[in-house]
Amino acid sequence: MTVDEVAGAPTPLPPPALSGRAARLTSTHGRPLWLMWPNLILLTAVIVIPFLIGVYISFLDLDQYTLRKFFKAPFVGFQNYIEAFTSAGLLHSIWVSLAFSLLTTAVCTPIGLLAAMAVNTAFRGRFLVRSLFLVPYVIPSFVTATVWRFIFQPSGAANSLLDMFGIDGGQWLIGDRAFWALVIVDIWAAWPFIYMMTIAGLQSIPNEMYEAADLDGTTWFQKIRFVALPQIRGQLLLGLLLSTLAHFNNFTLPYVLLGSPAPTPALTLPVNVYQTSFQVFRFGLGAAMAVISLILMIIPAVFYLRASKLTAAVGED
Amino acid sequence: MRRLRTKAGAVAVVASAAMLLAACGGGSSSDSSSGSGSGGSLDIYIGAQPNFPEQFATWSKALTDTFKAKTGADLTIETYASASDETTKIQSSVVAGSGPDIYNLGTTFTPVAYATQGFLTLSDDDWKKIGGRERFLPQTLGMSGPDQANQIGVPAAMRPFGLAYNTDMFTAAGITTTPTTWDDFVADATKLTNSGTGVYGTTLDFSDPFDPWKFVWAMTEQQGGYFVSPDLKTAGLNSDQTLNATTGYFDLLTKYHLADPASVGWKAGDAIAAFSQGKAAMYPMTTAQAIPTLDKSPLKGHYAFASLPTVALGMTERPAGAQPAASIVSGDNIAIASYTKNKDLALQFIDLFTSTDQQLANFEAFGNLPTNQDAMNQLSAKNALLAPFLEIESNSTPTAFTGAWADVQNGVTNVVTQSQPSLANGSYDTSAVKALLDAANGSAQSALDRANK
Repeated sequence: MTVDEVAGAPTPLPPPALSGRAARLTSTHGRPLWLMWPNLILLTAVIVIPFLIGVYISFLDLDQYTLRKFFKAPFVGFQNYIEAFTSAGLLHSIWVSLAFSLLTTAVCTPIGLLAAMAVNTAFRGRFLVRSLFLVPYVIPSFVTATVWRFIFQPSGAANSLLDMFGIDGGQWLIGDRAFWALVIVDIWAAWPFIYMMTIAGLQSIPNEMYEAADLDGTTWFQKIRFVALPQIRGQLLLGLLLSTLAHFNNFTLPYVLLGSPAPTPALTLPVNVYQTSFQVFRFGLGAAMAVISLILMIIPAVFYLRASKLTAAVGED
Repeated sequence: MRRLRTKAGAVAVVASAAMLLAACGGGSSSDSSSGSGSGGSLDIYIGAQPNFPEQFATWSKALTDTFKAKTGADLTIETYASASDETTKIQSSVVAGSGPDIYNLGTTFTPVAYATQGFLTLSDDDWKKIGGRERFLPQTLGMSGPDQANQIGVPAAMRPFGLAYNTDMFTAAGITTTPTTWDDFVADATKLTNSGTGVYGTTLDFSDPFDPWKFVWAMTEQQGGYFVSPDLKTAGLNSDQTLNATTGYFDLLTKYHLADPASVGWKAGDAIAAFSQGKAAMYPMTTAQAIPTLDKSPLKGHYAFASLPTVALGMTERPAGAQPAASIVSGDNIAIASYTKNKDLALQFIDLFTSTDQQLANFEAFGNLPTNQDAMNQLSAKNALLAPFLEIESNSTPTAFTGAWADVQNGVTNVVTQSQPSLANGSYDTSAVKALLDAANGSAQSALDRANK
């Protein structure tokens, strides 16, 4: 497609000017919204109701002794929330999860960006390279963690590699180093997500923009800085948000990699919630911790959605 | 048009609701009128056997056929892949009041299951219907309930923990008997260790989620201490005995250097690998289920089992009242869900499942030792490798039958987990270990207080 063809393309007609109320009526009545009912019912059954029950449980003294009576378990108000902050290690786990998620996202972002840019232009074998880049992401977390557990064994591949350089790797999966092992494995597994978001954005940039930049004599870096990045800003920010949330909520990787109980420096919030709920059977306390986790997750998500106007109605700014 | 849309919406709602109900209804417990067999049906929930898939298929078909022939009822076997799967299923079934009729419960999980009140307490008449308590090895009943009048679990398999040792290495070192005290254990392991050639006296697995607490527990009991007091009201993790037991366990590595330093990061799988490759002379805290793995290794025919020491480190005999604690009472119980509508059928199944023939079949398929006295006596008479497990079981000590046990066990495991960095550096700080035990004791005491409310 040439610049002339783009210039000559018919311009879509602007929507007819309607008042706000009329626009809302049209947007509502012009579409078969009843088709959403099956989804809404399933969402209610699978997410909304369990969520509400979870919130309710967080106010109960529900454990193995009261499980059978469930709805008759003693109501304890905010006691579980207080206990979560004072003696269940919640703040420590929030800190570990926050550090873990921000760190992994911060490292995954440049790796994903560079990988996407490297395969954005055509070259021989590009399809193969693109496919290979996705391998870490498509491997189930359980498998990834199990394989890396072998790699990080004292006599595993990681230490064998370090040994070639005269470095004694030591123990990776205990103490403070368990946190860094977790970060390394998660980066390996998760960077393709940023890569995918970026490549999707890059593919949507018209070639004409690069051609125009070429005419202006820009360098490769300038094209990235002033053409590509501004164009993919939305996708990239969404990718960063989703990536951070996914890292924060990652349960399988730390659980399988480090086992339970996890070393304290690597005790992430999801694993702490699991241990509390399903190993010592404090379901009420675990639910309170899960609700707090949800609130923490909602805050950045709401900020992003408001900022990106994804929640705005048609016609709203 | 508007009316059409409304109708279509209603249809969609009804269809979705129907799908949802159908999905929710699937897999729930059946009453005796369901199933294709004229004699009703029974749903049992047991552990999967991922290491023995073919054996499981053969065994389960034979069991199902035998049950059908005996009762006329169909048997549905559901399996779980992990303990957490099982726990989740029990929780949801207890809350919903429907699900499998019979559950397979690990012995240390049985007190938690008992606490949920989701399982039937067996009466004397019920026991008679399944062959009576005398059918079973006495120690296996130690984790059936808090006392004889409140038993929910019927022993279905036993897995006492013992010591596997390399007979060739023992002979070469001139060791003629297996250690009966932990001091003997240290002496023998020291003699068998040659770190220069990478051969150690024993394996240890500090990263295993289940083994370390058992070492600490056994050494604590053997000193006359306890994790939980006999009246189930007081946690004893902050006692001198538990501290000595914990540091004694650590000393096997840091002071006596009896194991590969890498064992700080080992789990049970790493330990058995080292033992089967001849890199360690002893493999403590193992069960008869290790036999298939060991028999596939070069070690086949060159190993035997024995009891773990029953006298604590630094002692020549146990103090008065101290338990031998050769092993925890370990294995599986089967329990009947309290919501079942098939109690009689369930008892018939348990009678079949714990019969001599079925117990022997279970051993042949999966290596689970029988709880049935007759079956175990038969086995140990014809298989010298298994005979020591009969003695080990007789010296087993049950863990505290309290719903708070998970807190206790996890607390001690956590002490070991958080001590690993020190162990990897070849030493530990006793005051740091004590602080960890104090914290674990606080959690355990809190859990016991909740249990005794």
